Amino acid sequence: MIFSRELWIEIGHTVIANPLRTALTGLSVGLGIFILVVMQGLGFGLQNGVQQDFEDEASNSLWIRTNRTTLPFRGRQANRSIELRNADKEILTEELFETPLHSARRMLWGSTIQAGNEEGRFGIVGVNEDYDQLESIPLISGRWLHQGDLAQSAKVVVIGQTIVDDLFKKRNPIGEYIRLRNITFRVIGTFSRSGSRWTNRMALIPITTLQGVFEGTDQVGRVIVSTGDRSVEEASAMASIADGALRMRHAVHPDDQRAVRVDDNNEEFAMTQRIFIGIRLFIWVIGGFTLFAGAIGVANIMSIVVKERTVEIGVRKALGATSGSIVTLIVVEAIALTSISGILGMIAGVLTLEFVAPFAEHDYFSNPAVNLNVTLTALGVLVLSGALSGLAPALRAVRIRPIEALRYE
Amino acid sequence: MSASKPHFIHLRLSYLWAMLSLRSIEKSYPLAGNQLRVLKGIDLIIEQGEMVAIMGSSGSGKSTLLNVLGLLDNFDDGSYYLDDVDMSELSERQAARYRSRFLGFVFQSFNLIAFKSALENVALPLFYQKIPRRERQKRALAMLGRMGIADRAHHLPSELSGGQKQRVAMARALITTPRVILADEPTGALDSVTSNEVMDVLREVNGTGITVIIVTHEADIAARCDRTIRLKDGRIVEDGNSGEVVEPTAHGISPDAS
Repeated sequence: MIFSRELWIEIGHTVIANPLRTALTGLSVGLGIFILVVMQGLGFGLQNGVQQDFEDEASNSLWIRTNRTTLPFRGRQANRSIELRNADKEILTEELFETPLHSARRMLWGSTIQAGNEEGRFGIVGVNEDYDQLESIPLISGRWLHQGDLAQSAKVVVIGQTIVDDLFKKRNPIGEYIRLRNITFRVIGTFSRSGSRWTNRMALIPITTLQGVFEGTDQVGRVIVSTGDRSVEEASAMASIADGALRMRHAVHPDDQRAVRVDDNNEEFAMTQRIFIGIRLFIWVIGGFTLFAGAIGVANIMSIVVKERTVEIGVRKALGATSGSIVTLIVVEAIALTSISGILGMIAGVLTLEFVAPFAEHDYFSNPAVNLNVTLTALGVLVLSGALSGLAPALRAVRIRPIEALRYE
Repeated sequence: MSASKPHFIHLRLSYLWAMLSLRSIEKSYPLAGNQLRVLKGIDLIIEQGEMVAIMGSSGSGKSTLLNVLGLLDNFDDGSYYLDDVDMSELSERQAARYRSRFLGFVFQSFNLIAFKSALENVALPLFYQKIPRRERQKRALAMLGRMGIADRAHHLPSELSGGQKQRVAMARALITTPRVILADEPTGALDSVTSNEVMDVLREVNGTGITVIIVTHEADIAARCDRTIRLKDGRIVEDGNSGEVVEPTAHGISPDAS
């Protein structure tokens, strides 16, 4: 049995009395953990950023838009303008398939909006009452558009945070009247979406009001359709049905990539997930190699250390040390050294991330958090490899006769 | 055990009071595919309180014999009793216990642990006897005082002279109050004045009843012991009182080459 306090004093002494050995082992482990923590943090930050960018759109939706044709078809010339109208939207949302949520989205950019003496140029967007759920618009105050607003083509508006800040400063805009392109609307709600500059510059009004008051047409711009709880395959089938129907109605060539486009967020989402898996795999591979290199470094140092200490082992045995006490001494020292330097490396890594994070905010990079589980596992692996790589040569060194150890060169 | 003690008494009493008793000890080392026989049947009895020099040229097996006596090396054949206990069947743990409680070593190259101070080197054997740190330090300091180098207690071995190092090594060997001190060429790395001082210490140690066994190739060191055993080619060729015996050349044995 070993008095643990005595053992620790003995180990502490050895560690302090051999600064080079301590520094080398510490650096090998500490640096490994440091790199791992920083890599993990950066990778996580990248993933966070991309994910946040994606969260803005519901992942289960189809985005349908049209443009001028690029190919002639059935006697019609190329470069013909294709517009989505109320009738198209009705067919899509009521005849072709069941959908829980749908919305038009037609934008009028560069619109002057005035409130009292303040004015600015913003975007007016005509939408349906489901739009907030399809594009996750977080309401800050007031209420969202409802079915009645659309049925009555009500002159009501939900404005983004930038418009609130620019035109109302600190005042509460709810219930106030503002002029959109010189037509008076009542503000019923405000919204703010973090990290999205242009969304917060939009004034959302009923699509029916936009069509009636500003344009006098039945154009709907884009159509957004939720795929509900359909699987990726079913959503994909739904997209091709929509695509086919619109091409039929507007006489668009099947190969025309521009005139009719149906973007399936399900698929894009799945693709992004695959990218995330790729990023994660990349981080794991790099982390794994870092860890591997660190473990080899520790093993190497430990085996050299034990060789260096062979004569010392012989002396200790001559002075009455048992093999067990010597192995314990070496292995506990290895564990203590790798643990402490690993924890120091971890702290350095976390501090680096904390320090770097504020400077690295970007659309595709945010909140580079540290994965504690991964870090602790890595630390465990290094400590274990340190212990094992100390154990093997220590066992070899104590197994030989004391005189061989004493004469070891 | 005076130097003038008649030989026959020595023989008779040794069977009763034998501290170390060897019978037909054989030992070989593997060498280039062959076996090099180093000890070819050693019969030896050493009593408690004796001061014995083991002499011989290099390769005679004298160091190997000392290592076998000190349980630092094993032997192939024969029997070895230390204080009436058979050493051939010892487990590793028991051997460690004997080295800790029974034996003290002094080496030619001192074998101090380089990163430990003189005091810590001397205290180390007590660590393996589970003696508390404070007590260890106290005893180690007292032992360094006995060796006359208490003022060097906190110096590293690299900061000590050869003689001081050997005093530290002797303090370390004596700290556990062993029954037998085994010294392998303890003066081999020292000048003659320092050698004499080391021998003074060992004589004094022997005076307290501790058995001292010294391997040496120097005749004047052997002359300061009570009994001299001469080895040649793995066999004991002479054994007698140091004063009477063995002027090397008188017996046709050339002085040590080394």
